[in-house]
Amino acid sequence: MVRRWVVPVWAVLLAVLLLGPALGPGYLLTYDMVWVPDLALRSDFLGAGTALPRAVPSDAVVAVLDEIVPGMLLQKVVLLGTLVLGGLGAAWLAGRSTLARLVAVSVYVWSPFVVERLWIGHWPLLLCWAVLPWLVREGVRLRADPRIGATLPFLLVLGSLSANAGLMSAATLLAVGATRRTAPRLVALVAAANAPWVVAGLLHAGTATSATTGSVFGLGGEGSLPGPVAALTLGGIWNAEVVPSSRTVLALPLALTVVLLALAALGARPLLRRLGRRTTGALCALWVVGYAVAVLSWAAPGAVAWLASTVPGGGLLRDGSRSLALCAPLLAALVAAGVERCADRCTDRELRVVVGVAGALVPLALMPAATWGISGALRPADYPQEWADARQALGAGHGDLLVLPFTSYRAPEWNHGHKVLDPLPRYLRPNYVVDDRLFVDGRAVPGEDPRVPDVLAALALPTPTARAHALADLGIGAVARDRTVPTTATYDAEVAGTPVFTSAALEVVEIDAPLDQREVPRAWWWALGVAWAAFAGLVLLGCWNVIHVMLTRMTTAVGSG
Amino acid sequence: MQAFFLILASMLVGGSVATFTVVGLVNSQTAPPDQSPASVSDPTLDYGTTN
Repeated sequence: MVRRWVVPVWAVLLAVLLLGPALGPGYLLTYDMVWVPDLALRSDFLGAGTALPRAVPSDAVVAVLDEIVPGMLLQKVVLLGTLVLGGLGAAWLAGRSTLARLVAVSVYVWSPFVVERLWIGHWPLLLCWAVLPWLVREGVRLRADPRIGATLPFLLVLGSLSANAGLMSAATLLAVGATRRTAPRLVALVAAANAPWVVAGLLHAGTATSATTGSVFGLGGEGSLPGPVAALTLGGIWNAEVVPSSRTVLALPLALTVVLLALAALGARPLLRRLGRRTTGALCALWVVGYAVAVLSWAAPGAVAWLASTVPGGGLLRDGSRSLALCAPLLAALVAAGVERCADRCTDRELRVVVGVAGALVPLALMPAATWGISGALRPADYPQEWADARQALGAGHGDLLVLPFTSYRAPEWNHGHKVLDPLPRYLRPNYVVDDRLFVDGRAVPGEDPRVPDVLAALALPTPTARAHALADLGIGAVARDRTVPTTATYDAEVAGTPVFTSAALEVVEIDAPLDQREVPRAWWWALGVAWAAFAGLVLLGCWNVIHVMLTRMTTAVGSG
Repeated sequence: MQAFFLILASMLVGGSVATFTVVGLVNSQTAPPDQSPASVSDPTLDYGTTN
């Protein structure tokens, strides 16, 4: 009985230890992770905006879910649930041995990939990472029983909340589960799960190329480790600011690499015996693809940047180390099998336990800085009360919203000075236009939204009235100005309008000029409607299958009673 | 063989505790200040820094 709960308890414990203060009251706002109390569903979240739909379908899904669960609680559930789900999935990959399952949980959860992507705020990618072992499990099941089952539709939805995530989830399910019999059905399911971002991306195909300067997002080295070596332990994110200190000091990352590779080598044969050729082969193929894409962005950043700037959708490859999620299931399974093999050589039961505990603690010991919210880097914050008042005053607004200063990232004092994508546009209710350029090492990486240069040109006009007319011509009906952010005339200028909210820190004005409403072509709505119907259909299929399973069990229970 | 594993495991468990302590101490004493806000002359904030 106790043994049954050891692994789930360990998974929860690790998740709590990793998130630490982030689970406290408030919103965790870190880099790209923006959660607000009540995210309003708006047409741009469905993919109808002018910018490349990078947050489709994640924003829309959150906007719907936070109608049921408050945003703050939903964020905690997503973060904690993601880590626990990932850990338990890895435990399944490790077989029946409690010892191996504990090790698999540690290796899977306490990894540089998880820590770095958590810090930079890529939660849809982490959700994908969490469902990958479960998709492997479903794939194995489907080869024996081609029925879709109750959990697969939900796993695909959770694993496809962004473009990269959707592709990796699809690849994993198809690699493990596709047979002549199951392939058509699985392809249909995968297509439905990915339909919103695929269709929204196709509608933006004209602007769906990235700048060549995007090569800065390739796999990077960590401390003394070059990128390809760091990637062996699933590290190597491009942004050095989100690399935990344990990965850059002393010889800890080197030791982690040596230990994990040695254990993985020991575990190769037992894993092949247990999972069989087909599943092990699929896991190996996924590892090769994930590692190759990551290393390609390190070895040939120019080629990847060319691809991103030439082929629509090629930008999916530019943040190369994202693909390392595909390497995680095999690594965890191999290391767990390696520790189990070591333990099997011990005849003494107590010694087996010591070996197991040591194996489960190795990842923590060699990356201790991840502890307690990455040594305190993950701290929740409360939004200023003025933001709620401004939201109330503006309401749904007329036309789109422009937030000034026209820069994308903030480091508000109320967020402990931590960087975050400006949360104000998401906090308020209308569609918005933001500067989608990114600045890395002081250099600008151009964005894709065609309205951004027009907004900058409008702000450069000589009078507030001229600016108001130019912005209204772009479909912008309101301007919110964060007065706490340092700015210059290039990114901020007075716009003629009627104030609807004014405080020391925040001002919202409705533009006094005839508004040229942005029209979304009818064909776009049809295409997006079909895509979202397919996505929603997948959720309904999951619900139907859950009800069916419950009814079957009840009938069986009554029959046997 | 068992003795070897016992020594190895003991080293790992002991090393874990020691590493946690040392790195935690070093981190707490050498942590950089919170990120400074954008400067007045250039309000754009770097999304990140490469190595």
